[in-house]
Amino acid sequence: MSSQTPMEDAMRRKITETLTPTSLEIYNDSHMHAHHKAMEGSTSRETHFRFYITSDAFKSKMQPARHRLVYQLLKDEMAAQGGIHALQLRTRTVEEEARARTKPETP
Amino acid sequence: MNASAPLRADEPGPAAQDASATAPAGTCTVQTISTEEEFSQHTSNLPPSCLTVIYFHAPWAEPCKQMNTILSTLASTYASTTPPKIGFYSIDAEELSDISERYDVTQVPFVALQKDGKVLETITGTDASKVRNAVEKHAGRPSAGDPGKLGLPPAQKVTKAAPSQPLNDPSSKPETNGSSNLSKYAPEAGDPATAPQYSSGEVNPATKDELNTRLSELVKAAPVMLFMKGTPSAPQCGFSRQTVSLLRDKGVRYGFFNILADDEVRQGLKEYSDWPTFPQVYVSGELVGGLDIVSGSSSLWPMLVRCTDWFSAVEGGVR
Repeated sequence: MSSQTPMEDAMRRKITETLTPTSLEIYNDSHMHAHHKAMEGSTSRETHFRFYITSDAFKSKMQPARHRLVYQLLKDEMAAQGGIHALQLRTRTVEEEARARTKPETP
Repeated sequence: MNASAPLRADEPGPAAQDASATAPAGTCTVQTISTEEEFSQHTSNLPPSCLTVIYFHAPWAEPCKQMNTILSTLASTYASTTPPKIGFYSIDAEELSDISERYDVTQVPFVALQKDGKVLETITGTDASKVRNAVEKHAGRPSAGDPGKLGLPPAQKVTKAAPSQPLNDPSSKPETNGSSNLSKYAPEAGDPATAPQYSSGEVNPATKDELNTRLSELVKAAPVMLFMKGTPSAPQCGFSRQTVSLLRDKGVRYGFFNILADDEVRQGLKEYSDWPTFPQVYVSGELVGGLDIVSGSSSLWPMLVRCTDWFSAVEGGVR
């Protein structure tokens, strides 16, 4: 029996293998956007994702570079016809994550 | 009827070049000059400290369309003051050939910066940052008022970047019969107002080099540039809408480009910046990131605001 979430599985595997994150949270927000005009005609349930990744692979990299790293990993999923339409990323190093948890809620 | 009769006072300048359509109230616009008298009248009434930006164009020259947009955007970032500190004027180089001759205009687009009757600097071509830097050098940084009240900068209908064309290019000269005959360069049939000049599927897609040149100019069109889906007054995507909201809350003045209106830019920019999503925020021509980065980085705001020189303007509310 094949997975209902092939995209998510593939992305989870790639990120885990390459970035060895200490924390990886994947949220599928596709249902929130299914009615949007841009999604007209799409039957996929894997179009909008949020990734919260904590990994020291991000150390000494600025945010744009971190995001590019992730985009590179997921480029097949993003380029595929009917593939990922939108991706929100939060990329932190282990230290940044620890600091964020001690602070009050930050965006 | 004399084919090269000078423009009569009641004949309006070429309407196609009106660059002042959507500037926010209280800011400068590019005024179209249609006669010699109008020109002398305007320039002689300006105080010696006022910087006059004189833009020479020709309706048949493609690059001028881009310069129109660049100038009207630039003009709208300067508050309109009394007495005026800066004035933007647009002149059809061929119709007012005496003026062109006086300024030694041999290519268009051509911008001359003048103070107290003396030409300080001239720029040819469509390099937006060159023009902006020159204007800021002589007139100071822009200081138009509160962005929240004035609304956002006018839409940038930017077309393909190209080097300037010689003024007397015989292959492009429209037939003169005493009236402004622009039929040689009328907009393409069925070309809706907001459609891009070039989009994928066009008969003449830009070459890779031309596209890269165009993109590198576009990302520098304003100190802070937002490439979004839709426009700030009508965003077509939740993330773009949030980015607009964020920029407005922080009082950042920026230029924007609607990537839904131009597929060439939409796809080209993804490759150019190695960034697959929109919105995209650029500062001084460099990609800073999308909504996540812009909303998550507290150190970004001082930099963005400094870029657009907002501190004093927001405090004082220059009008």
